[in-house]
Amino acid sequence: MIVAKNISKIYFEGSKKEFYALKNINFEIKKGSFVIFKGVSGSGKSTLLSILSTISKPSFGEILFDKEPVSKYPDIHASSFRAKNIGYIFQSFNLFEDLTVFVNVSLPLIPLGFSQKDIDKKVEEILTLSNILHKKDEIVSNLSGGEKQRCAIARALINNSNTILCDEPTSSLDYENSMNFIKTLKELKESGKTIVVATHDPLFFELDFVDKVFELKNGVLVE
Amino acid sequence: MKISVFINLIFLLLHKQKTKYISIFILSTLTIFLLSTVIFIKSSLQNEILKTLESHNDFIIQREFGGRIFDIENQLEDKLRNIYGVKNITKRVYGRYKFLSEDVYFTIIGVDFSNLNKELKNLGLQNISNDEMIVGFEVDNLLKKYKYTNYYDFFLPNKEIKKVKIAKVLEKESNIISSDIIILDINLARDILGINRDFSTNIAFDVPNELERTNIKQKLQRLDLELNIIQKEDILKKYETIFNYKGGVFLILYLVVLFAFIMILYQRYSQVSINERKQIAIFKAIGYSVRDIIKIKMSENFVVAFVSYLFGVLLAYFFVFILNAPILKNIFIDFSNIKNDFIIYPYIEFSTFVTLFLFFMVLFLSSVLIPVWKISAINPYESLR
Repeated sequence: MIVAKNISKIYFEGSKKEFYALKNINFEIKKGSFVIFKGVSGSGKSTLLSILSTISKPSFGEILFDKEPVSKYPDIHASSFRAKNIGYIFQSFNLFEDLTVFVNVSLPLIPLGFSQKDIDKKVEEILTLSNILHKKDEIVSNLSGGEKQRCAIARALINNSNTILCDEPTSSLDYENSMNFIKTLKELKESGKTIVVATHDPLFFELDFVDKVFELKNGVLVE
Repeated sequence: MKISVFINLIFLLLHKQKTKYISIFILSTLTIFLLSTVIFIKSSLQNEILKTLESHNDFIIQREFGGRIFDIENQLEDKLRNIYGVKNITKRVYGRYKFLSEDVYFTIIGVDFSNLNKELKNLGLQNISNDEMIVGFEVDNLLKKYKYTNYYDFFLPNKEIKKVKIAKVLEKESNIISSDIIILDINLARDILGINRDFSTNIAFDVPNELERTNIKQKLQRLDLELNIIQKEDILKKYETIFNYKGGVFLILYLVVLFAFIMILYQRYSQVSINERKQIAIFKAIGYSVRDIIKIKMSENFVVAFVSYLFGVLLAYFFVFILNAPILKNIFIDFSNIKNDFIIYPYIEFSTFVTLFLFFMVLFLSSVLIPVWKISAINPYESLR
């Protein structure tokens, strides 16, 4: 269960440019559910995901993951929590373009202390599942958009995390690849993972397996 | 992180950013090369000269009036013999002889062939007769230029000409101390330099008991107030000062270069490109802590700095000891008289290189650490959008 309690995020705090990216956000996400945060650009979706993932901290309030106040963890514990529990899929994939698919997918396992043998085994498995094993030695910059997306998914799943956060995951994909991606998310939900998607792509709003849609307007949550 | 996996990752990232790191490598190598070259030359020359000075007598006495140096009377030798503890008394004659054809000076050294010390015996002076001479390598070159292949005609102060046969030429390897010298019989040297036969340039002697040296110096000074008594330690200190001064000038230059280099590096990391910010942000997003990211960045830069250090030192070794440091070595040796094309022998002060290594690494890595820490500590999320 993910719980957000009175989350606010202030940028340029104390200066003339001060503004609230998020204001008093409260919500609960049940384990295994599929939740969407929708809203136009600048509404605060990505800021909320960065706080949920523990990459950034809220100015006020807290995030609880299974009652653990993860938003209050110091960097060393937050990063360890992130490495073990969060899979992140970005709008523009955010892969290392000059490295191979294999290396990109293996990166999250390195800070967890896996041996090279274990890394090789896990990466092979996840690349097979993501149907991209045949491209494992390919440099990422040579891949198509759909292949990059599959590589990004494989990287998000490699640590067997229970929560997958997706920030505008289909904005760089064509319709066919977007639908394939949505299908993958559905399968992930069915396997028991919690899926949180921040998007303004209408394709997501008509899905029958979505449990909850939150709308963000100027940093304020409208359910 | 498993060490082998981590090392793999570092080399992958280095390969990925090869263009960036090659430019840093070239700059660092050049900086280390410059300083190592100066250290190699300075240490080697200093070692050679100090080694030569070590074999000199413990004391030299000169006659001094009004701050000027005059020839010293030979009879002082008898007075010295009466001082208990004084050994190996040697009268020395030396001076400069102008070689008009080239407008340069030869250093004339007069030696008593019947009383040679170990150093002179090593130079092969045993079989030289009183009307022969040994010449330095560069002296021989100059004489040959004017067809003096077997002898040279010295102009004496009384306008006579004295023909002296060249018995031997000193090897080029000993050039650092001997390039401009001519060694000949002590009386012949007196005639060439216009020194009365009852006088010498100075008198040298040893005092084997170190504890007695101060006493004997004071006793001598009381004996004759106009004696200038020079101890070997004073000469050694003088040479060390000269080398430290020249080395110091280079050290300052090096520090300026190093400082400029570090500032470039700092600036470079402070204004990290969007790609590099993104790289750090991706690492954070997939579970790397600030500590992990700093570890990665520091390791990447350590590899570059370490390889640069090794290359810089090896290049300097090749330049100094294999190529004999063309151009640069003359800065350390007086080049105003005869050309001194000496050979630099390998002599390395390891402690200096360990200090240099630590100094270089600390500066290098801190110039990377501060900006990387700043970037990874602040929220990099915006870089991912």
